[in-house]
Amino acid sequence: MSDIFDELLRLMHPDRLLRDPRATGAGVRVAVIDSGVERAALEEKFARQGVTIRPIEGAVFSADRVEPSPYTGRQSAPHGTTVADIILTIAPGVQIYSADVFGPQGGTEVETVIHALHHAIEVWQCKVVNLSLGVPEAKLQPLSRRQQFLRAIEEAYYRDVLVFAAAHNEHPLTRSYPAVFSPPLISVDKGLFDDPLRFAYLLREQVEFQAHARGYFGPFAQEPATSWATPHLAGIAARILSLRPELKPFEIKAILYWMFRAAEKRS
Amino acid sequence: MTAETILIVDDEEPVRRTFQEWLAGSGLPCEVLVAADAEAALRLANRRPIDLAVLDWNLGAGNDGLRLLEDLSVFQPDIVAILVTGYAHQATPLHALRMGVRDYLDKNQDLNRQTFLAAVRKQLDRIRPAKQHRELHQQLAAFRSAVEKVLPLVQSSAALNDPVPLPTAVASLCRFLRHLTGATDTVLLIRQVADGDAAETCKVYDSGGAPLAVELVPFARSLAATAVSMAEPCVMNALAATAAGTVHLQPFERGRKSVLATPLAVGPGVHAVLELFDKSGGFTAADRQLAGAAADIGAELLRQALADRQTRTTLFDALGAALEATRAVTDHGPPARPDEPPPAAVLESLRENLTTAARAPGEADAALRLAEAVRALAVRHGAPAVEHCIRVVESLRQILDVIGGE
Repeated sequence: MSDIFDELLRLMHPDRLLRDPRATGAGVRVAVIDSGVERAALEEKFARQGVTIRPIEGAVFSADRVEPSPYTGRQSAPHGTTVADIILTIAPGVQIYSADVFGPQGGTEVETVIHALHHAIEVWQCKVVNLSLGVPEAKLQPLSRRQQFLRAIEEAYYRDVLVFAAAHNEHPLTRSYPAVFSPPLISVDKGLFDDPLRFAYLLREQVEFQAHARGYFGPFAQEPATSWATPHLAGIAARILSLRPELKPFEIKAILYWMFRAAEKRS
Repeated sequence: MTAETILIVDDEEPVRRTFQEWLAGSGLPCEVLVAADAEAALRLANRRPIDLAVLDWNLGAGNDGLRLLEDLSVFQPDIVAILVTGYAHQATPLHALRMGVRDYLDKNQDLNRQTFLAAVRKQLDRIRPAKQHRELHQQLAAFRSAVEKVLPLVQSSAALNDPVPLPTAVASLCRFLRHLTGATDTVLLIRQVADGDAAETCKVYDSGGAPLAVELVPFARSLAATAVSMAEPCVMNALAATAAGTVHLQPFERGRKSVLATPLAVGPGVHAVLELFDKSGGFTAADRQLAGAAADIGAELLRQALADRQTRTTLFDALGAALEATRAVTDHGPPARPDEPPPAAVLESLRENLTTAARAPGEADAALRLAEAVRALAVRHGAPAVEHCIRVVESLRQILDVIGGE
């Protein structure tokens, strides 16, 4: 005998939500905190597909500067471009903001990520933040740095901002942050799905969701990685948000869970 | 600069005492020595340098001041003198000038406290710049000599204590991972970025640890950059097909079929990526895991080899730059005072030389501070202090070697 939740479950099917013609990501601002985005390469790629993307904006952050440097449309490493490409492939209507925290130094310092996160929330007014570039545990010493990082993630939650973080959970010893701070954000592991709009809820240590882990553009994109899984789920969230922009992070998380349950039940 | 030393030589004790009192009451920064005859004067000159001699023309016992000045110049070639004489008209000015006589005081006419002190002050004012310049050169020569002595010792010590030279470390690492994964070739790319600086240096080593002389594409567009940002080993089994748009292949990657790129977390500002190529049948997930497990060991091996090389390079560069700086500094004027740093032009020259030799920002300034500290030490306390300084540095090196397990 079915109840109201079964009714809800039927209504929350991914096909119904994600295939909606209005679910393009339009009106949703997404920050890619990563290694920068090669703007021209993505514009050219999507133009070839007949898709016009919104001009990518951004800034370059570094540990030694209070104010970010202007974004010149270049990447510091190809990683960020592959991430942005995945989000645009899933939700071509989004407005991408590139927060380059990799820079010429080629490292991800906690303070730089926190700085970029604040900027994405307060200046760019982003609703979704994608963090495929994790910070290893060794960089979170002393304890105050870890607390500062956690506080920044919590602030994002209380500002209604969804943070998606790659779990990078394969290393036998090192844990990757902020994915470990699961409750206020959505940590994503890699999986392989026949449809990039499919994903799974897989609750275990450090991980809540699994998304499609293959990218489409750039080196190693075909290599399954949590770095590529995270923007898939961020793109899916952007599609949902374009249907109802005022959804809260916990609502998005619940909707993702219900969508997974609905798809699982049907299959 | 040390205070000038004035030697008064007169066979009459009241004259000696009077001159001494005039000088003592004048406030002139000088040390006064007195001698009654030529023999006593020469004994004093044998013990310490004399800047200015106030000599009696007629010293009695057949000696004259000009002859004494000739003998004194054996000890101090640039000594100058004031001759006190009652026979100024008898002096042979040209010969006396050549000997170092710069002034005469006539006992019978104008010799009083005022004229005496005016003559002494005039000579001291002339002596000081030349003496300053001379002392600076002596100090630099002492410093240079000390560095030249210590440099071969440090170099030979470094050669003996080098536990894992970089090429050996690279070759071992490549051999290890090639054996583990079945790759047919390996290349190690090491990129170093100076702190707060966008300037980078990239070096590539082949599987034998030898540097590869190739023109590299910018790191931001390389496969290695992606591997570094992924922070885990990455595989591409269709290398040629994937490389487009955001990435350019390095010369040593072109024509390869597959690559397993493993980032090694060596340290801040240093990115090392080991690229394994062309395994028959392509690299597998198991290869990735093996490479990941080996990455920590490889990173530690490289960290030690690079740190060792960096430390020694910095030391050699600093010493080499200090030697070069001592050459360059002689082209500039002497400092105003010995206890002050050299003039800005000298420091700028030092900094330029050091910056040319240094590898990272900050090294030049550190080396400059080291050179200046040693110079100041030499100025104040002479060559023995520099020798002591060298011994302290050597002891520190030994302690650090012990702590570092070398």
